Amino acid sequence: MTLSSRVRCWLRATVGRSRMESEMDAELRFHVETYAEDLIGSGMARAEALRRARLEFGGMESAKEECREARGANLIETLLQDVRFGSRILRKSPGFTAVAVLMLAVGIGASAAVFSLVNTILLKPLPYPDSSRIVLPELLSPPGVNLGSEYIPWGQLQFRLLTRDARPFETVSAFQNDSFNLTGAGEPIFLDGFRASQEFFSSLGISPAVGRAFTAEEDQPGHEYEVILGNRLWRERFAAEQNILGRTVELNGYAYTVVGVMPAGFAFPRAEEMPSSFNFPSEPQLWVPLAVPAEPKPGPSELAVIGRLKPGVTIEQAQAALDLMTKHAEEQDHRWIGWFNTRVVPLQRQVVGDTRRPLQLMLGAVCIVLLIACSNVANLLLTRSLARRREFTLRAALGAGRARLIRQLLTESLLIAVAAGAAGILIANAGIYFVKTLGPANIPRLREVTLDLPVLAFALGISLATGILFGLVPAMAGARENLVDSLKEGSQRAGGSRLSPRLRNALLVSQVALALVLVVSAGLLTRTFFQLLGADGGFNAERVLTFQLPLPALKYADQNQIVTLFQNMLERLRAVPGVRAAGIGETVPMGGEGESTTIRVPGHPAASQKEMPFANFTVISPGYFSAIGTPLLRGRDFQQTDTTDSLPVAIVNAAMERRYWPGEGALGKQVGPGSTRYPLLTIVGVVPDVKHSSLREESAPEMYVLYNQKPWPSLLNMRVALRTKADPAGITESVRENMHAIDPDLPLAKVATLATLVDDSMSQPRFSVFLLGSFGVLALLLASIGMYGVISYSVLQRTQEIAIRMALGAQRRKVFGMVLGQGARLAGLGIAIGLIAALGVTHLMASFLYGVRPADPLTFAGVSLLLLGIALLACYVPARRATRVDPMVALKYE
Amino acid sequence: MAKPIDLLQGTLDMLILKAVSLGPLHGYGVLLRIQQISKDRLEIQQGSLYPALYRLEHQGWIASEWGESENKRKAKYYRLTAAGKRRFQAETEKWNRMADVIAGILSTTAEEV
Repeated sequence: MTLSSRVRCWLRATVGRSRMESEMDAELRFHVETYAEDLIGSGMARAEALRRARLEFGGMESAKEECREARGANLIETLLQDVRFGSRILRKSPGFTAVAVLMLAVGIGASAAVFSLVNTILLKPLPYPDSSRIVLPELLSPPGVNLGSEYIPWGQLQFRLLTRDARPFETVSAFQNDSFNLTGAGEPIFLDGFRASQEFFSSLGISPAVGRAFTAEEDQPGHEYEVILGNRLWRERFAAEQNILGRTVELNGYAYTVVGVMPAGFAFPRAEEMPSSFNFPSEPQLWVPLAVPAEPKPGPSELAVIGRLKPGVTIEQAQAALDLMTKHAEEQDHRWIGWFNTRVVPLQRQVVGDTRRPLQLMLGAVCIVLLIACSNVANLLLTRSLARRREFTLRAALGAGRARLIRQLLTESLLIAVAAGAAGILIANAGIYFVKTLGPANIPRLREVTLDLPVLAFALGISLATGILFGLVPAMAGARENLVDSLKEGSQRAGGSRLSPRLRNALLVSQVALALVLVVSAGLLTRTFFQLLGADGGFNAERVLTFQLPLPALKYADQNQIVTLFQNMLERLRAVPGVRAAGIGETVPMGGEGESTTIRVPGHPAASQKEMPFANFTVISPGYFSAIGTPLLRGRDFQQTDTTDSLPVAIVNAAMERRYWPGEGALGKQVGPGSTRYPLLTIVGVVPDVKHSSLREESAPEMYVLYNQKPWPSLLNMRVALRTKADPAGITESVRENMHAIDPDLPLAKVATLATLVDDSMSQPRFSVFLLGSFGVLALLLASIGMYGVISYSVLQRTQEIAIRMALGAQRRKVFGMVLGQGARLAGLGIAIGLIAALGVTHLMASFLYGVRPADPLTFAGVSLLLLGIALLACYVPARRATRVDPMVALKYE
Repeated sequence: MAKPIDLLQGTLDMLILKAVSLGPLHGYGVLLRIQQISKDRLEIQQGSLYPALYRLEHQGWIASEWGESENKRKAKYYRLTAAGKRRFQAETEKWNRMADVIAGILSTTAEEV
């Protein structure tokens, strides 16, 4: 329905209604006046005739009301009447209205903001056509082998088997990330991109906005020098030039032809949407053909695969087809056994990834806040409806039915709810903005989150639902009042019905219990956060500068050249004033996962491929450990004397020593990469476990090898770490100058201090703590307002009783204690119930915790005390007020 | 003249249907017609007439339109609809049966039991 037609519809209803009213008026007037004329005709005086006519007709207004009812259109009218009356009542007590609306608005706003996240991330389909058909066939780690991840990358061989056998797929494509050094177009720039096979874009269902996707010919070795630009790169680097097609750009020293530009917003795959073990870049800027040979040779596995299922093919059917493929492969070559297990995962599920449970946690937390707000407002309304008892009694005595009274009260609460909903939408908008700007970068699809129609509908829905929820109970209770009793009591203060205090106390106890559950959860997360801050990552992040060094592949084709470069570089960097230690490594702590490989361990023969030992494999230079602040546990560090010609050496981490040489120690033992093309290395040192991606990760076995002893992977993308004497930022420029003095083409990428990397790795737990903590504070605030309200009201109600007690000699201290005791009893009950509930809830969040048990006694006790303290504080003001009761005044008033 | 008797519960509708079945009438006309044919033996609350008219109209048994009255004023005229006619016949039969039964019961003497 468009806005204008909605307005017309509303107008018709309103105008129609007033027409009916005026017709009814005319008809009744006609009756009375004609009757009066007849009376005049029979000789009565005019004034007397009119009086008689009106008198005999009876109550004009009640007749009209009955007519309206008879006509059946009465509902809307009484509703409008209720709304008019309700808003007048609410305007008359602006303080009450403001508090109620504000409390609810916060609850509704927070819920709507969290819902917008849930909706976008969990519920909305991906922004690709027919996205339910897009799947990721993932390769599983062999059972019993710890590779630090559930998935392993695909190899080219396996991908070829898949494409040969890919019956369930309409299209299927492999891709791997790569770094590209763009030169020859202004300042050299380091870009994240992907090598993707031909059907990559058609699998996603997205075509380039300008130009075309890759052809099958271009996706062959030797022909792969075409590039498709990301929209952002095209705009920022090429001024959104329309005739960019056919232009040559230089990437890593090779000439590539631009064949297409992707539409704005397209950046698949983003890091946060893919398994983290792939260590993909956060936003790819360009794509080039992958060019897998028709008959690939065995080599490193680095591919991810995406496919679009044929129409009508289910995930189960696709899985069955791949299982069959696995079986055939294993029958033909026994080496595949265990290494070719696949799992077909819908892209949607992969993108949602690990965010489902944190989001559910947030949704649960925000529901608690909303519930507390609701019960608070219900309590306020209940208190108010007691104060308005006289009004209701009067209206009931004048003939208003019970249903009508309930409807009136419900209308009032719905008015509050709708006003709160409107304010809540503003709060939600602010919340969404806040999450988008300050939230951690690894929340998938965060940029798509907006205050859209579903969120607005949700806000409206919960407004109405809460309006009924918090309105119904007080309305029923209010309307249940016995008329006779109320009229007899006359006073608003005395007694009160027995039901209401019990109801209010129950609401209060449930508030305290809910708040306790929420604050305990927040407390556990906070403890987790501080445990993580204090966790030993195996390094020292103070004053360490790191940067990435992606070497131009053409210029540094020979490994010896790179070794010489690194030697020069380390020498120069160590001479920079302020540098204490310098090292090069394939990874830096909190910089992401590195390489891993099967290993040979003499004395641990691999009985079958399945049990083949596995370890992280990291190439480093001497000085690396001193630069990142990792102490040596045993043995020695790599030294300048370890060269190409000397004994090949390795350093292992403690986890590896424990796994393979428990009790005997690793020093002097031998280990090597799985392939016998590489020599065995002698272990000369043991270091603590250095964590790669997160301080909470479980460390896998890891071996370090020397960059100048002909290690296996390329050295084209290493990281540099510099430990400095003062603030690392101060030496960044001189480091850059020194690097450019060695080779002006060297790009320095991802310059960051180690502390920043650690900080980034903490962004998600920090964000969770912040959100849950804010919800916890909100819950505490609301619960204490509720406590204050209930206790103040009860003091007000008991004024007479207190006055009598004091008149009979009760001491002020005693009265003070009595009121506090009442609050403490209620809070204590709420805390007891909350503790039981919290025990049930917190074990569900075990996976969020680190270094603290779900039933952590410290947190439980601390939060209970905190809640009790806040409850007593909330009772303090009313308790003080009770002690100031002047018996003379109070009793006289009665 | 005998004192008018109060209307039995639920009979006003029937009387209205009868009144308008004799020709379209405005509300006041309905009142006059009933008084006329009952020879003033029934007491009708004027105010209760209109809710009944509105109810009957809402149920579709009578229909209304604006016309000109005898005293040259605009008045709302009610007439019986086809459905109203059927309803009126059914009600009449029911009433007659009921009246027979009640009369029969009331006239029963002790010997007949």
